[in-house]
Amino acid sequence: MARILAVDDSPSMRQLVKLTLSSGGHEVDVAIDGVEALQVAEKQQFDVVITDVNMPNMDGISLVRELRRRSNYRFIPLLMLTTESTAERKQQGKEAGATGWLVKPFDPDRLLSIVSKVLT
Amino acid sequence: MSAAAAAALPCRCETLGVSAEAAAILLAFAMRESEAPAVELGSALERLTDALRPLAGGAATDLAACVRALQFHDRLMQQLAVIRNLLTRLADHPLPQMAAFGAQRWEELLASLRERLAEDSHNDLFELLLRTGGVAPGAVAEQAEGTSELF
Repeated sequence: MARILAVDDSPSMRQLVKLTLSSGGHEVDVAIDGVEALQVAEKQQFDVVITDVNMPNMDGISLVRELRRRSNYRFIPLLMLTTESTAERKQQGKEAGATGWLVKPFDPDRLLSIVSKVLT
Repeated sequence: MSAAAAAALPCRCETLGVSAEAAAILLAFAMRESEAPAVELGSALERLTDALRPLAGGAATDLAACVRALQFHDRLMQQLAVIRNLLTRLADHPLPQMAAFGAQRWEELLASLRERLAEDSHNDLFELLLRTGGVAPGAVAEQAEGTSELF
């Protein structure tokens, strides 16, 4: 079981990601944007962070960049979960330090298998 | 129609601006109205999942189907938000785009619309619409949705 932070500005997406990961036995916290995610991530340590890209206040790519600056998140898997799928945006995510890129809508089993893969 | 009567009528640009603003407000209300039921549905699903634990066989398959299907509400909200923003901007600046028309004006309008499309998927959809005049269900989304890549 892992402790996972799910970041998305959409309330229904936060619910669905949380529901999927909880059903896989993980403990899940949520945040509504990059700013709140940073605050939560500073208070407690997560094993994986899954974040949307387009969010108000702080987008997902900036969040990944900020988390990678912190020593306790340098080697933690950071996954992008977004509707965007162009090579250019993926490259931006990769350069910021993302571990992987998942395109919405996600398949629950696939999400769980990817989380399990990045945790090993 | 007399010149005086014609002058009393609102110009076409003003009518378009007001219509665009009204459409944007209606969209915003509709989006807000549908958010709470979607969240309620998600919460109900969560409670059902908890009650049925451990999930196996058909229940697990059904849960996965619900999670996949509910994500299309979020996608719809995103598309509507883009349309709402476009309408709002159209209402703010109706005259340059609508006052005159012609090949050059058309190109300006297209360039302006492209600048306003925030996401790649919206750009793809827009280009597809321009090329074909219509979009088959899932024509754009099928290419990438649900894919994953580890770096």
